[in-house]
Amino acid sequence: MSADPQLATVVAVGHPRRAVIEAAWQAIGPGVEVLSSDDGGPLTRTVKRILDPLVLRLRANPQYSAPVVTPDTAAAMRGLIIDNAPQLRAAAAWFEVLKLERRRQRIRTGNAQELYFPVCFELAVTKGAPTPEDRDTAAAVLTDVHQGRDRTAIEVLHEYVASPEVVSMLSAQLDRSWRDVKPGETELDAFMAELATVLGPATSHGAAVARQRVWSAVIADATPYNLGALARVESAELPWSIVKLGLSSVAPQRPPAVYGGGDSDRPLDRTVVDRVRATLRRALDRDALPDIPLLCDEEVDRACAPWGLLAEDKQATMVAGIEVAIDLAPLDRSVSTRYALAGHIQARLRKEAYVLHARRYLAEGGPIHPRQRQIVDDLASYPQPYLSRLWARLHGRDVWQEPCDDVDDVRSLLEGVARSVSLDHRSRIKSMLELQVAG
Amino acid sequence: MTGMRFVAESGLWTTGRTEPATPLVAVLELSGAVLSWAIDDPREAAAQIAFTDVSRADWLWRVLGEAGHVAVAAALAGEPRGLEVTGVEIVPGSVAPLRRLAVGHWLRRWWPASRRDGIPALDRALLDVEVALLTAGAQDFFTDDTLDSDVTGLLAPHATTLIGYLQADDARVRELVRAGAELADEAGMDDEGWAELTAALEDSSVVSDLGLGRRDDYALAAGADSGPRGAAPIGRGVASISWSAVPPGIFDAAEDTVDWSVDPAGPAVVAVVRAALIGPDPATGIAVRVRSGAVSGDGALDADGSATLPLVDAQRRPMPESSAWDHDWPSTSVIVGAEASEPREVRDRVRRWARARLDQPGDRGADKAFLAEVLAGESAY
Repeated sequence: MSADPQLATVVAVGHPRRAVIEAAWQAIGPGVEVLSSDDGGPLTRTVKRILDPLVLRLRANPQYSAPVVTPDTAAAMRGLIIDNAPQLRAAAAWFEVLKLERRRQRIRTGNAQELYFPVCFELAVTKGAPTPEDRDTAAAVLTDVHQGRDRTAIEVLHEYVASPEVVSMLSAQLDRSWRDVKPGETELDAFMAELATVLGPATSHGAAVARQRVWSAVIADATPYNLGALARVESAELPWSIVKLGLSSVAPQRPPAVYGGGDSDRPLDRTVVDRVRATLRRALDRDALPDIPLLCDEEVDRACAPWGLLAEDKQATMVAGIEVAIDLAPLDRSVSTRYALAGHIQARLRKEAYVLHARRYLAEGGPIHPRQRQIVDDLASYPQPYLSRLWARLHGRDVWQEPCDDVDDVRSLLEGVARSVSLDHRSRIKSMLELQVAG
Repeated sequence: MTGMRFVAESGLWTTGRTEPATPLVAVLELSGAVLSWAIDDPREAAAQIAFTDVSRADWLWRVLGEAGHVAVAAALAGEPRGLEVTGVEIVPGSVAPLRRLAVGHWLRRWWPASRRDGIPALDRALLDVEVALLTAGAQDFFTDDTLDSDVTGLLAPHATTLIGYLQADDARVRELVRAGAELADEAGMDDEGWAELTAALEDSSVVSDLGLGRRDDYALAAGADSGPRGAAPIGRGVASISWSAVPPGIFDAAEDTVDWSVDPAGPAVVAVVRAALIGPDPATGIAVRVRSGAVSGDGALDADGSATLPLVDAQRRPMPESSAWDHDWPSTSVIVGAEASEPREVRDRVRRWARARLDQPGDRGADKAFLAEVLAGESAY
């Protein structure tokens, strides 16, 4: 810690993203109250479920997702939101209609805003505002939402793989694909040095540019592929144990089954059908889903690819994630990190553990009640849940061909995974203590 | 010239104030930052902000203004170090709702309920409902889910209790229950209790006449005052419990609530420990350790806060009664729960603050008392 603070001389221009959205929203005027909070701004769920994905379309317009946006970007965002005012008012009207129908059908499942907001905007775009004579749409929409497109798709999947011919065809494909993957020569030291730059600090603009360049080189490097391929070779020298990392129940990694078989939930052990099922479950908000046979066919090749991921940028991210994960130990103050990024994550995890302590959910670094022992011990093996969750996110991106080529995006993915694992762990520690209240 | 001073604190950008130790600190985990206050420091703007991720703190402009947000976000882009950002300060009033929410969370966990000290317990259901409502009101600060964003978790255990409260004479209670039920409805809480509460609100005749069944949290208090049994003990004394070493809702929060004695048991001796309870949770399984020079005993409390611990010497051999009579017992320490360093003065400060809240409930801003506190204060007269 430096004793003499320096004065910040940064001349900052731009606008906080959320402030831009808030101001544009206020400009819409009346008609969107059910999507607004008491102070007239959009509800957080309105931002998350309607404005970000459907109006600003962050996937296509990543510039709108920066925490602070330039004046030009701010103007563009404002324009988009105000241009969509008629649709947003219609979406608000649809939400009222769906809420009435929800009450009429005595549905209490799920958060109404979370579930209905995107549908309401979709209806506003396709049908305009609701009309009094249209009584069927609301009922049909609720049936669709609550009985689930995903469930229907999963039924189709199960019917498809119920056929022995299909399973044996996929198994034959799996045998071929698995044999196709062979490790090449790797220069591990040079690769690790590059990775250290990617995961290191970037204090200047020049350093940030260099870091992006190195990340592109890491993706182009065959090492992540080769490491994943080596994980299935007997007596291969890997820098880590895929069993200890929780990625596989055995080393070397064995080819996954198409269907049925083991009950391991470790990422690389999961069956092809299980992987497809996860894709379908996450596909709730997607309009286009490839047909089931195509999805299974592609998943066989993915399951055989190194790390169970087809694209090089996902494989590289997985390897970067492993290097970060083995540095993380939220409750052990003696562990230090090798990478600046892991250091940030570690600092945050420790602060979050401190919040538990400040709330009397943990004593100083240990359980405050014997019931918590197990989960506190689980926290000591942080890399396993971290890598499971990272793998699931990468798998999703691999399926939808969403890139991992932007180094800042990758770094925030690695941070976001840590955040959600930490929240999950801490919620479990908390509920261990609160069990009694419920009883 | 106004300005905000930042330091690197354990690897995080932090506004340059030191947070007090538990249990004096009220914290709130927002998207991208953890805010802390000393509970007995009335200045809400004295918040310490520790950024877990500046880029996720998309609410910062609400607290620092737009220019302040942009300046701080730019200044904190690099590795944490000492830094002052000029022209930035907390907008008056902007953190008051956050501080109140932080205090609500603190009350849930640290309120020093004690029969001996005459500090009544707070009604858990009413407190949790009010904290849940404040959380929903502060949703702009929870873009990322955090430990403190979970509205349904706060409400979940209380549906049945709240149905009983619908018949309360107190309009403030009924009003709070109604607001809680609406929130539960919006949040999609679909188990039977909540459906029943909603139905009851729609048709008040459905409610059975349960009255305001506020739990008497003293009911479980064990008779720690009833004195030791049997023959005169070899040694005896009292000890205090560190609050941060044990979960809330079990022990009376006063000082000197642990009575211990050393008694003969056959050829050997045991330490008999009894802690005063407040409930509603049992003390089952909480560790207890007796240390007296080279002599020690370890075990766990039973449901009513008692434990009988065989005493052993440094070689783990049972201590014979004969040497027990020669032992210097007054220096004995009895530790209940985990290891914790928590000075008694800190607990006294908390008690003073709690009594002041009960005597003069605040009526606005960050200090506005929670209904559970107001009711506890009224019940004390």
